[in-house]
Amino acid sequence: MNLLLLIGSLAAVLLLAWAAKAMGLGGDVRLDRDAALRIAAENGFQPTAIIVDHAGMAAIVRDAAGRHLLIRRHGVNFVTRVLHAPLDARLDQKLLTLGTGERTFGRITLDLGDQAAIWAAGLRAVR
Amino acid sequence: MSDLPDPIDYAVPVFVALILIEMIVARLRNRARYEPMDTLTSLMFGFGSSVAGLLTGGMLLGLAVWVYQFRLLDIPFVWWAWPVCFVLDDLAYYVFHRSAHRIRWFWASHVNHHSSQHYNLSTALRQTWTGFFAGSFLFRLPLFLIGFPPAMVLFCAGLNLIYQFWIHTEVIDRCPRWFESIMNTPSHHRVHHATNPRYLDRNYAGVFIVWDKLFRTFTPELENEKCRYGIVKNLGTFNLLWSVFHEWIGIAQDLWRAPFRYKLQYLLAPPGWSHDGSRDTSDMIRRRWLESDTCQMPTQSLTLSSSAADRAAVRLPDGSAKAANTASA
Repeated sequence: MNLLLLIGSLAAVLLLAWAAKAMGLGGDVRLDRDAALRIAAENGFQPTAIIVDHAGMAAIVRDAAGRHLLIRRHGVNFVTRVLHAPLDARLDQKLLTLGTGERTFGRITLDLGDQAAIWAAGLRAVR
Repeated sequence: MSDLPDPIDYAVPVFVALILIEMIVARLRNRARYEPMDTLTSLMFGFGSSVAGLLTGGMLLGLAVWVYQFRLLDIPFVWWAWPVCFVLDDLAYYVFHRSAHRIRWFWASHVNHHSSQHYNLSTALRQTWTGFFAGSFLFRLPLFLIGFPPAMVLFCAGLNLIYQFWIHTEVIDRCPRWFESIMNTPSHHRVHHATNPRYLDRNYAGVFIVWDKLFRTFTPELENEKCRYGIVKNLGTFNLLWSVFHEWIGIAQDLWRAPFRYKLQYLLAPPGWSHDGSRDTSDMIRRRWLESDTCQMPTQSLTLSSSAADRAAVRLPDGSAKAANTASA
């Protein structure tokens, strides 16, 4: 591969990425209860409780063993993490902010309404 | 005859055109097949891989020529040598690819190709930057030792890679039956990229799916079990550098922290292996799935019903329903 082809390849990369955006590919995908349950099942979770963020950006699922699974949007897909102690959690009225300890995974703020304090309390049991 | 061109150089414009066509199809049918940030990340993987190829290509060729001097046979550039070389190179690719999924050292490089949660033609270009460092070339050395000229082997390897481009798509459902039985196809390779326990670590073939059938690693795509793409622990970021190096960093951290007697296993054991059993390998995931009820119910979703009453309850795998104890937002 010569230098000209390399420069051409970089131009093609930028062109294709621009085309994907210009065509409106991707989309605004949101979580609902069914989707969260399906994702939990795919991750081997048998949920006993579930809460979905008001905007549908994330959800938390709890199983009988007291494990908590965080589900959050990533592009038009969703990613999950089982929450472990020490948990980076902050409650601010109806908003619960969670960090998994993975810097690249980021922190996520869930609007859980009246349930926020209950779930925050439940997360204290995370081991 | 030994001065053969790199076929990939000529294929790049075709790759670009086909990705554009697939994007247009996605625009018309299902926009979620592409995600601009994921596409950019995948394509930058491809670009970086080309740069890495430029930097290491000379060393690779030098090594091939050095090994070739110890060859057992003198295989000339004759017509019959080409198909033999192509088939044996594909077998070497199968061995490499299977090792890349079963040995963490090689997986650290190959995981790059699997870390997208999308499956489209841009995913095909999601190639590693660290293949030479990992020693992926070792698997092709036997071909030089047999006596195939390096130029012939590298040309066949290029054709192999070009073949594998078009199978990274959801636009093509199934090919004619005779073709599906011999060749690697979009359907077979979708299985390979899936993380469903049924599909995990299957279908390693490059061009000929017969290797998987021969070595019992073949699983067909089922109509009623849709593939979920990505890796077992998806990254959750489009950060290019993290995507490229995350598994290498993971290995370094494990080597640092692990008791001395386990260090080698963190390099050579299957991905997901841990000395304290705190993580899952694909074998463990599949075994657990086989022991569960869900392995017999590929179409079962926990909540298939559209009725409000059903949706308000959590349906358990045994078919019973349990009232959810919290309200959905």
